[in-house]
Formats: sequence, structure tokens, C-alpha cells
Amino acid sequence: MSASETPLHSGGADKRSVASTSTGKSAVEFRAAIAFLIVIALIPAVVRNDYWLGVLIVSMYFAILTGAWNLLAGYTGQFSLAPATFAMIGAYATGLLCTAFGVPPLLGIVAAILIAGLTGLILGRIVLRLTGPYLALTTLSFAEIMRLVASNSIDITRGDLGLAVPGLLSSRIGWYYIFVGVLAFLLVALYALLRSKAGLFLQAIRDDEVAAARSGVDVVFWKTAAFALSAAASGFAGALYAHFAELVTPELGLIGQTGLIVSMAVIGGMGTLAGPLIAAFLVYVLSEWLRDVGGYQLVVFSALVVIFARFFREGLWGLARGAMQRWRRS
Amino acid sequence: MSLLSVRGIVKRYGGLTAVDGASFDIDAGELVGLIGPNGSGKTTLLNILSGLAEPDGGEILLDGAPCHGLKPEQLAHRGVMRMFQLTRVFRRMNVIDNLLVAGRALGLDGAEALNRADTLIEELRLDAVRALDAGQLSGGQMKLLEFGVCFMVPPRIALLDEPFAAVHPTMKEIMGGFIRSRHEQGQTFILVSHDMPVIVELCPRAVCMNAGKVIIDAPTRTVLSNADVIEAYLGGQAA
Amino acid sequence: MGAISVDLAVNGLITGLFYALMAIGLSLIFGILRIVNFAHGEFYMVGAYAYTLIALGLGVPVWVALPLAFLFGALVGWITERTLMRPLYAGYTSWGLMRDEYAVIVTFGLSLFLINLVDKVIGPYAYRGPPLVDASRIVLGPVLISGHRLLAAGIAIAVILITAALIKWSFWGKQIRAVSQNRLGASLAGIDTARASSIVFMLSGGLAAFSGALLSPVINASPDVGAFPAIKSYIIVVLGGMGSVPGSIVASLALGIIESFGAVYLSYQYRDGFGLILLMLFLLFRPQGLFGEKGREV
Repeated sequence: MSASETPLHSGGADKRSVASTSTGKSAVEFRAAIAFLIVIALIPAVVRNDYWLGVLIVSMYFAILTGAWNLLAGYTGQFSLAPATFAMIGAYATGLLCTAFGVPPLLGIVAAILIAGLTGLILGRIVLRLTGPYLALTTLSFAEIMRLVASNSIDITRGDLGLAVPGLLSSRIGWYYIFVGVLAFLLVALYALLRSKAGLFLQAIRDDEVAAARSGVDVVFWKTAAFALSAAASGFAGALYAHFAELVTPELGLIGQTGLIVSMAVIGGMGTLAGPLIAAFLVYVLSEWLRDVGGYQLVVFSALVVIFARFFREGLWGLARGAMQRWRRS
Repeated sequence: MSLLSVRGIVKRYGGLTAVDGASFDIDAGELVGLIGPNGSGKTTLLNILSGLAEPDGGEILLDGAPCHGLKPEQLAHRGVMRMFQLTRVFRRMNVIDNLLVAGRALGLDGAEALNRADTLIEELRLDAVRALDAGQLSGGQMKLLEFGVCFMVPPRIALLDEPFAAVHPTMKEIMGGFIRSRHEQGQTFILVSHDMPVIVELCPRAVCMNAGKVIIDAPTRTVLSNADVIEAYLGGQAA
Repeated sequence: MGAISVDLAVNGLITGLFYALMAIGLSLIFGILRIVNFAHGEFYMVGAYAYTLIALGLGVPVWVALPLAFLFGALVGWITERTLMRPLYAGYTSWGLMRDEYAVIVTFGLSLFLINLVDKVIGPYAYRGPPLVDASRIVLGPVLISGHRLLAAGIAIAVILITAALIKWSFWGKQIRAVSQNRLGASLAGIDTARASSIVFMLSGGLAAFSGALLSPVINASPDVGAFPAIKSYIIVVLGGMGSVPGSIVASLALGIIESFGAVYLSYQYRDGFGLILLMLFLLFRPQGLFGEKGREV
């Protein structure tokens, strides 16, 4: 990336200032996301409760899935309904390798990333020409078929009973920082990807495939790449989760899980870096908290999804940005 | 050797023959008007030239090499740039990013692409809206933006489909001036338009299509006074 | 054909009839708005609950509860259209891809909302709806069938035929078909396209709810009962050609028979998978469905 594209000075009067490009916008989002992650990393200094650390770990699991789905749906416009399925594939990949073939967990995780990514690549190639409702239905069917396979291949996966997976370490704090580290790594990788020409191409494909092709963008390549990368990151999250929970069940691939991921991205603001990340924590932590207060959490969040989609299409991040602008002006 | 050769292109949609054996050659540096009544096959021909449709017969040569059946992005890399009649921009990306997509995809590095985009924005007087999302632009500004996209990397040939339709006169002038000056520098164009005064003013040569066939290919003045052309536009039965 | 095959064919056809009743509404909505309603299964769920609770809770006769379930579903459909679908045609031409995205998110969100709302308000327990008749086993030659199932199949046939006739010949049916073919053209011809969409949503919600009510003695009403009819409906709508009502009916019957035989001769565990695989294959290789014509892109 060349120096002229680094928008260090935002809002300058210079006509050629790059801060006005969307790369400039994403720099602000990136800083907000990093600041948020620092806060998350500091939480164990205050919270030592195993239960709440567990809740935050699962939040991070969802944050990774939401980010991966956001790359595919928010930035590339490919509205897949199978993000949870790739997590499930990753979880089973490492689980089966470890239990059936005695592969060490770390190697299992690496293999899980590759297997999920490859599956995503194949699915991406298959659904290349489908858009909108057709794509949503095909990916939904793929998700259901995979879940059926996982729960019916009882000889291999032990079906709905679940597969016991060897753990990696027993310290909850240890797991906490593994997830923080992976989340931070993926966030930086996503940011770098979006700042490169790939970010331009993916968003161009999202907005108009024909115009992207006319502009010289290799639509087939970049779309498939988005599918593969998104699936690989989801598989990574799923594999980590498998060793954390020491159990893999077909429930990881439930449509309800995908629903949660979509909710987080929509409430946070699809196609933004910080929004879905923050919303993943907000939704999951609040839902754990609300569970004790009557258990209306899922009603509230699903209603929020509809309300945000209907009235605040840019999500919480968009609302925050709007408020900031109004505040600066006054 | 001519830059672009269209040889006997045929395209059928079911029972309808949209392009019926169209042939013409375009030399480097020419600015050719492609005219004809609605449904005469101009847009279908442009679709074939830009890789959005495959011809059922005939061939297209770019620099002597066949290029029909290539995908739009491959043609873009070979220097065929298309502007659509119904404007196509990236609605959720801002003006400058819209331009950068083409620049980066066609091989410019980041700084170079940004420079070109800035120059184009200035030339097309889009300065005031450079940071706005393309979806927020007026119809005319969108057309200007899409027009600009075609020139991020000077194409071998620019295919412009009705660039002036439903555009404010000021913007029409900006585009007209841009086309004229690039033409003087040797840029090659095919310009589809229903706006005859503009065709007369800009294009030294015109190709007129009717019912999928090229009915005349001559200096613009000759074409416009041709009886068949008048017939075609007025929808006479004799044609 | 042996006795078992006749039994499988008849039962498959009956299942197919129920599928048709579930799926027609989804097909109508796709026809008129070009969206897939991911909350379709929840319209079904609402009907199953409405019927069961009205009949059991209020002691209303089943023959009154059944049409009430239809009305309840129609109400939910109408509210959905009024509150959530209007933006789809307010800026119809300028939305582009965002339109599809909005439709998926908002109906998917609505689906989650209704499931969880029912789960909290009514509870996660399953309720078995009262059967229409008590005869539990009726033997027709080689075919063994419960009285409720037989009667429900008869009602399903009647409702399907009435719906098809309404769409083909009634004033509103003609308007709906006009809007499905060309929304802009229909509105220029003076048709109230928004009202046509409202009616389609009411009809769709009503039919889905009606099938939920009709099947509630067989498939108990529970918050997530809608997943099964929803997925069947997606498959049928794709197989029959998105938006084609006659296509959906044929596809429903075909799917019923395929599943019935597939469960016995191929694999019982994967009986729900056949349709999903067909759905993917159709979307990939024959997106216009069994009978549909490929639309020309403009």
C-alpha cells in the first residue's frame, strides 16, 4: 500500500486528502475496533468469574463468525445462510482428526481451517451465478444437508450425542487470550484485505457484478476467494470452539446459530468493521444477562434485527457515526 | 490493419434476429457514431463487443485477433471499455472509489490510480461530490462518473451507449468536450446516440443500423441525408 | 405394482397435498414481490397454535377453529406486508441488490422473532391439535390411513382448488397475476399494486396457517414447528418454478411421492435430504423449475 493512501489526517481541507475515500472511513472503524479489543483484553483484570469469562469466549467465537460472514455478505454482497455450517465443518474436521487418527490438536486446527476453506471454495464455485433469494435458498439447503449428514452419520460422528474432542489447555484465562489473539489477528487481516485492492473489488462486486466486470475485475476469482476466506475463518472459529468445549455436536450448524450471526452483523451494521464486532459481544453478553431477567433476550434481539433492517440499515455503527457528525457540526 | 473489425455478426433471441450480419471496421483514432432506430440492434451489438453476449455467428477482431466470446473483464484488460445506457455505478462506494476500482483492476498501483482519479474528477467537474456515495448522485452525475470510469486507463476503444440521454445540458457539454479533446489525442470511440445534432457535431463518420443490419456506413452528413436512413427512422414500410 | 407400492403412492400423494397447501402461499409471494419469505414457516406455526388453542383452550368446535386459524394467519400476513414489505416497492427501481438483502434479513428476522415470541408467551411445549374425526384406522384396499388424514386431504384438495380458481378467474386474482407479470405495467393500468401485495400476503399467511391447523393433530404445534413446512415449501417453490402456482402443486405431489418411496427404498434417515438436494440441483441447472420459462433479462 502506497503512502498516499494512508489517511492519517482526517477531515483536512486538502482537496486531494484521501480521508474522504472509503479507505479513510475504514481506518476510523479499525481504530474503534482495536480500542474495543483492548478493552476486551483488559476485562480479566476485573472479571475473574469463570462463567462470565466463558460467556466472553463464546462472544469472541461469534465475533469471528460474524466478521467472516460480514466479509462475505456485508462487503461482497453474497448473502449466504451457511456461516454456522462452516464452523461446524471446522469443528468436526479437527474433532475427527484428533479422535480417529490421533492427530495433535494444533495440527487438527490447521487442517480444519484448510478443510473449511476448501469446502467454501467449492460451494462458492457452485453458487457463482446465483444471487439474492436463490443464493440464500441454496446455501440454506447446503447448511441443512450438512447438518443432516453430521447428525445421521452416527458411526463416525456419534450423531446428536456429540463427539468428545481432546482439550488443548485447562486454564480458562489461557483460552480467553487465545481467542483474543485469534480475533485480533483476523481483524487485522480483514482490515489489510479491505485496504488493499481486494477491498475495492469485493465491494464493487457487491454493488454491481456487471459493472465490476466491465471495470476489469475478475468477478469469478474474487467472489470465490471471498467464499473461501470467509469459510476458512469460520472453520478456524469452529475448530477452536471444539477444543474449548471439548465437544462437537450438529447443533453448531443449526439455522438458529446462523440467525444469531446475521443478527449481530445487522444490528452492528453490515459492511462496517467495528459494528458487527461490537454487536457480537453486545448481543451475546446481553442475552446471557437477560436470560436471568425473564429470558426475553431472543425476542428482543430478533425484534431488533427487524427494526434495524427496516429503519436503521447502517446498524449501530451507522447510528453512532451519524450522532458523531451531528455533534461535531453543532 | 484496423483496430476493430466487426464481421458478419449475428445474434438471435428465440425467433428474433437482433443483429443480422453486421459488419464494419474501425481504425485507431476514429470517432464513429452508431445510429439507428430503437430495436435496430445497436445495444445488442455493443453487448457482444463488450463480452456480455456471445454472437451466434460472425467474428470480432481486435488488433487482428479474434475477441468474441471473451468475458467482459478480459475485454476490459484488452482495452475495450463500455458505458451502459442504464447507468451502472457502485452505489454504496464513493465517487473516488468507483474510479479506483477500474484503475486498480486494470493494473495501476494505488498512488497512480488515485492521481488519475483526481485528474478525472477535476476534468469532469465532480469535485463537489467526490466523497459522496455514488448512490447519492443525481442521474447526470452518475452518468459522468460512469463515463469517467471508462477513461481511468485510456482504453483502446471506448463504447459509449447513449451517454447524453437524459443529462443536463451542462454535463452534456462536459462530456462532449471531453470526447472531442480525447479524440484529438487519438482516442478511438464508438458513440451510440439518438441525439443527431451531437452525432453530427462530434462524429466524422456514422454507421446506421436498421433491423439488425448495417444499412449505411459513410461520413455523417451523407448518412443523415440518405433516403434509407430517413425511411428507417420514420418507420416506412418500404424499408 | 405391489400392495406396498400402492400404499406408499397414496400416502405420498396425501403428504404432497399438504405440501401444496403449505407452499402455494410462498409461491404467490415470490410471484408478486420476487422475494422468498423466510418467515413462511412461522405463518404455518401461527395457524397450528391458533387452531389448537382456540379449539382446546376456548372449547370452540374444530370446524369453527379451522377457519379462524386461516383468518389469524391472514392477519399476521397482512401486518407483515404493511409494516415490513412496503419499502420493497417504494423505491423499487433504485434498490438493486440491497432489495434482496433487505428481504432476506427482514423475513429471517421476523421468523426468529415469531419463534421466540411464541416460545416465551405460550411456552416451549408441544400442543397436539384435536383431530377433525375420531376414526383412527380406515382401510381402503391395501391402503391404511387415519380418518383425520383422509378428511384433511379432502379439505386440502378443496382449498387448493378454490385458491387456484380464485387466482385464475376472480377480479383480485387477475390483478394479482397482472402485478406478478409486470408491476410497473400493472400500476400504469390503474391497479393498486400495494393492495394486491397485501392480499397476496393475507392469502399466503392464511393458507400456511390453515395447513398448520389441519396438520396440528399429526405434527404437534411447537414454537419451531415451522422449520419443516418452510423447508418443504422452499423446495417445492424451486422445483415448481419460482412463482408458478400450478408448478408448485405438481412439485408438491412429486416431492410427497419421492420422499415416501425414498424413505423406504433409499434411506429413512435422509428422507428429508432428497428434497434439499433436488433444490440445489434445480437452482443450479434449471432455475426456471419444472415448467417455468426462463425469463429474459433486460
